Amino acid sequence: MKRILALAMLALLYSNPLLAVEEENISTFMQSNIDLATTILRDKKIQKIEKSEKLFVIFDSIFDYTLMAQLAIGGKQWAALPPSKQIEFTKLFEQKLKVSYMEKLDLYTDEKIVIKNLEKIKDTRIHLTTHLMKNSEVYEIIYKFYKDKNNSWMIYDVDILGVSIIQTYRTQFADILAKDSFEKLLEKLKQPDEATPKKQ
Amino acid sequence: MRLILACLLSLSLLSSAEYMGATSYSSDDFEAEFSSKTDENLFDPLSGYNEIMTSFNDKFYEYLLRPTAQGYAYVVPQMARNGVANFFENIFYPIRLVNNLLQLKFHNSWEETERFVLNSTMGILGFRDVAGEELGIKAHDEDLGQTLGHYGVGSGFHVVLPLFGPSNVRDIAGLAGDMWLNPINYIKARDANLLDSSEEALAVTALYTVNKTSLHVKEYDNFKKDAIELYPFLRNFYESRRNKLISE
Repeated sequence: MKRILALAMLALLYSNPLLAVEEENISTFMQSNIDLATTILRDKKIQKIEKSEKLFVIFDSIFDYTLMAQLAIGGKQWAALPPSKQIEFTKLFEQKLKVSYMEKLDLYTDEKIVIKNLEKIKDTRIHLTTHLMKNSEVYEIIYKFYKDKNNSWMIYDVDILGVSIIQTYRTQFADILAKDSFEKLLEKLKQPDEATPKKQ
Repeated sequence: MRLILACLLSLSLLSSAEYMGATSYSSDDFEAEFSSKTDENLFDPLSGYNEIMTSFNDKFYEYLLRPTAQGYAYVVPQMARNGVANFFENIFYPIRLVNNLLQLKFHNSWEETERFVLNSTMGILGFRDVAGEELGIKAHDEDLGQTLGHYGVGSGFHVVLPLFGPSNVRDIAGLAGDMWLNPINYIKARDANLLDSSEEALAVTALYTVNKTSLHVKEYDNFKKDAIELYPFLRNFYESRRNKLISE
């Protein structure tokens, strides 16, 4: 019984709209997330796969993958897709983001991340600026939040050194779709990494 | 107990259903945010040439630069390579100074000068970045492309240069100007030359490039893995990054 209850609670936790992140506590909420993530990252006892699984539990509750996928492919293209394709694309895109993140784990040594600034761009947008410190160098990472239907703040994009992740994919998808079909794009998203950077 | 459980489950189902249903957003806002930057109306007249040059540069990196850098890294310990990188950064001081001054960033120009003096002396010809490590005085990287951008010159279209990699019209103009200030170039018309000939300049530039590459092979390879299409990936990265640097 206890286990079932625990599971139910877990399910509840995952269904993020109930765990609404309020505007005034975005900073503290993100700080605790970052601290938690850093602890996981520094834990030498757990394997890479397990590590990323633990990290993705955190990410899944604050990243709006569906919106990210929609923005990456562009509104017009998204609207033209049947729902089944939208879901397939979203899944693949989420997978791509996660694989890309997992690969970055190898580069992690003992960087520290601190929150620098929280700026409300407009009613429904907040930018949270963080600094990642590596040796003596500082890298700026901005998390972009929007207020969703349930008044919860969710991340829809991340700027790393001034480069938007969504924009990066958006230009690539636009380039692929200018020459090829949507099916081809899905195929390219599925491909293992080593085959992808090559141009025909 | 059952009741609570049922409640919990139905609640979570409800909310996740709501979540799934929220696929179409009032997305005009978002569309404006992203499509204003590049996308369909992107002016890229050289895209055909650029794509070919990107894959040429990529092959050059894969088959020549990376193996060379890795061999070099095998022979030269990391500490020495960091030292060499510091040495080069230090002698690029004229480029940074002039461009900080051109942008009227006097405080940064002063810090650059402090760095140059301290690192050249206490840091033994710049091999150690004493100013940065001990005193926390950071370099302020500026180049002529950034200076032009600072004064509102648009980037122009994207151009991929052989070996140099991604650039654009504005930054190529900047690059030409910066060459004049670059101490490891040999320019006959310039009165003061550190090096005696173009051959020497080429050799030193090669050393600089191999050394720098050897320190970043892992990062670059990892970064490149993210690309689905290399050319638009690098183009977007370059242009966004430059805009960010100009705004700073």
